Amino acid sequence: MMTGFARRLAGHLTRGLVMIWVVTTFTFVLIRLMPGDPVQVQIERNIAMGMPPDQAEAAAAVTYGFVPHGPMWKQYLEYMGGILRFDLGVSVESQGVPVADRVLGAMPWTVVLVLTGILVSFLIGVVLGVIAAIKRSTVVGHSLSIAGSLLHGVPPFVIGIILAALFTRQWRLFPSGGVYNADEVAPGLYFDFIGNVLYHAALPAAAYALATYGGWLLAMRSSVASVLGDDFLLAAELRGLTSLTRFRYLARNAILPLFTVLAISFGLVFGGSIFIERIFNYPGLGMLLFSSIGSRDYSMMSGAFLMITVAVIVANILADLLYSAIDPRVRRQA
Amino acid sequence: MTERVARVSVRKQFWRGVWRALRRRPSRLIGLFIVLLFIFMAIAGSWFYPERLPYDAENIYAPISWEHPLSTDFEGVDVLALVITGTQGVLLVAGAAGLLTMLIGTAVGLYSGYNRGIGDSILMRIADFVLTIPGFPLLIVLTTTISLGSWWKMSLVLGLIGWGSLARAVRSQTLSLRERGFIEAARGLGLPTRHIVTKELLPNVAPFIATNLLMAVTGYIYAQVGLYFLGVLPIDTSNWGVMLNAAVFQSGALISPDALPYLLAPLGAILLLTLGVVLIVDALEEIFNPRLRES
Repeated sequence: MMTGFARRLAGHLTRGLVMIWVVTTFTFVLIRLMPGDPVQVQIERNIAMGMPPDQAEAAAAVTYGFVPHGPMWKQYLEYMGGILRFDLGVSVESQGVPVADRVLGAMPWTVVLVLTGILVSFLIGVVLGVIAAIKRSTVVGHSLSIAGSLLHGVPPFVIGIILAALFTRQWRLFPSGGVYNADEVAPGLYFDFIGNVLYHAALPAAAYALATYGGWLLAMRSSVASVLGDDFLLAAELRGLTSLTRFRYLARNAILPLFTVLAISFGLVFGGSIFIERIFNYPGLGMLLFSSIGSRDYSMMSGAFLMITVAVIVANILADLLYSAIDPRVRRQA
Repeated sequence: MTERVARVSVRKQFWRGVWRALRRRPSRLIGLFIVLLFIFMAIAGSWFYPERLPYDAENIYAPISWEHPLSTDFEGVDVLALVITGTQGVLLVAGAAGLLTMLIGTAVGLYSGYNRGIGDSILMRIADFVLTIPGFPLLIVLTTTISLGSWWKMSLVLGLIGWGSLARAVRSQTLSLRERGFIEAARGLGLPTRHIVTKELLPNVAPFIATNLLMAVTGYIYAQVGLYFLGVLPIDTSNWGVMLNAAVFQSGALISPDALPYLLAPLGAILLLTLGVVLIVDALEEIFNPRLRES
């Protein structure tokens, strides 16, 4: 069993590394080989401002993590070497701030939001999905399915805008931005601070939850519908087991396929983080990517994009490992 | 001759099935009507409105009236006109991107599922890769170098980002179909692969393509609206996203109740379009999967 697990993990890691390699190559091409090459632009701007050429080149080298001189493959290798050491260069916009610091600083806030949002929507979606499946030919079942499909189909930013309009402007129940109020609490592991962080995270997390629970509901509904006819449920009923026990049998079997959906929804949610964080002024990875694009801060932009991709890959691996740990059939296959 | 007659009657039966599924629940007819309405707005919008909508500084955030059924925006432009003219460009791009997605996704899925082997595993690795890449962040990163304001570049990028899930769906369907009796019979008869793939397999995976395509096109519409909403594309066309951007981040529609229709109109358009698509997908599922029909 352990070897199967290890082989699965190794396969995931190789694929993840290949993907990170492709993404970093892409960002290198983007900042170095595209028309309007930002590295060249920065060097020329510095020269125009009266900097000697070699000094201008050195400044660009610090910004992007490679010396923009000589054969392209050498520059590429140097860039990749930097990324291996997690040296993502320095921000163009705010000189001297390492990109890695900013990216790592923004990362936890996005992860907190995404995880709470997905956890809450998973719980709601699973429960409502079971109800929608059991009552599928009644009005309740139909309405649940339609509402689920509708929320699943509406883009997350629409839900974000509506929540923001209602709860930060119409009724000022929640703050309109930030991760905590620095005037009221200082960072630390105590009740008031954690409460303040949760208070700030509540609305954006709710936006994620509302945007994704429809997907869980639909997946759970079709999964329950396919398990409902199975013999083991009939056997359980004939053995005279209570409906609660039968419900537990049903839910445990029906919930398995949802873990494959988990992987897809992580990608969607991290992608949607740009909107949610922009709408709620929440300084996570999405906001960082958005602001770096606005100010054409290319080193920051590639760093943030790389980090979002890494987050999605790691989340995918965790979702798959979780799935194989729960479902014995997958475990044996590996 | 007889073959043609048979085909015509099959087609007739198909459309009869479509009509029956639509009629079974009136909500589905409403869905069809909504989606057709949006297509009509996209095609006919430019007949009714000039390319540059008239400004009217006297009439900013005008009250709702017959002349301005959805009020006016911060420059006095009619909001209904903005919503209608905003459909054209978006639908064009989404349609073109959807076509591209359909071509790539179907070809890859059929090839992978039917031939299996090494080509299949390579193609599926690529499909997984395309699926894992966070699409929207990639799009906004690309806006910095490629001018995604041009319709064909935008369609190309969207189509290339979005084919992964369709390819996966078509492949898994093909995998299970190829073991079924009628395909084995066709192979046993020595029919050419081209015939088996286009005449036997394709009609059976068409439902998945149709459903997936509809979802993909809607996704592409929202991706474009999202890009304009964030303000990373040049604002030179009417687009619901441009309206949302101005309403949420600039004109303070979230604060002033006068400007509320300007915010609600594009939101309403998105909700309505989603509703239409959801209702049609509901009908499609029943048309193509008779087991779902409730007695």
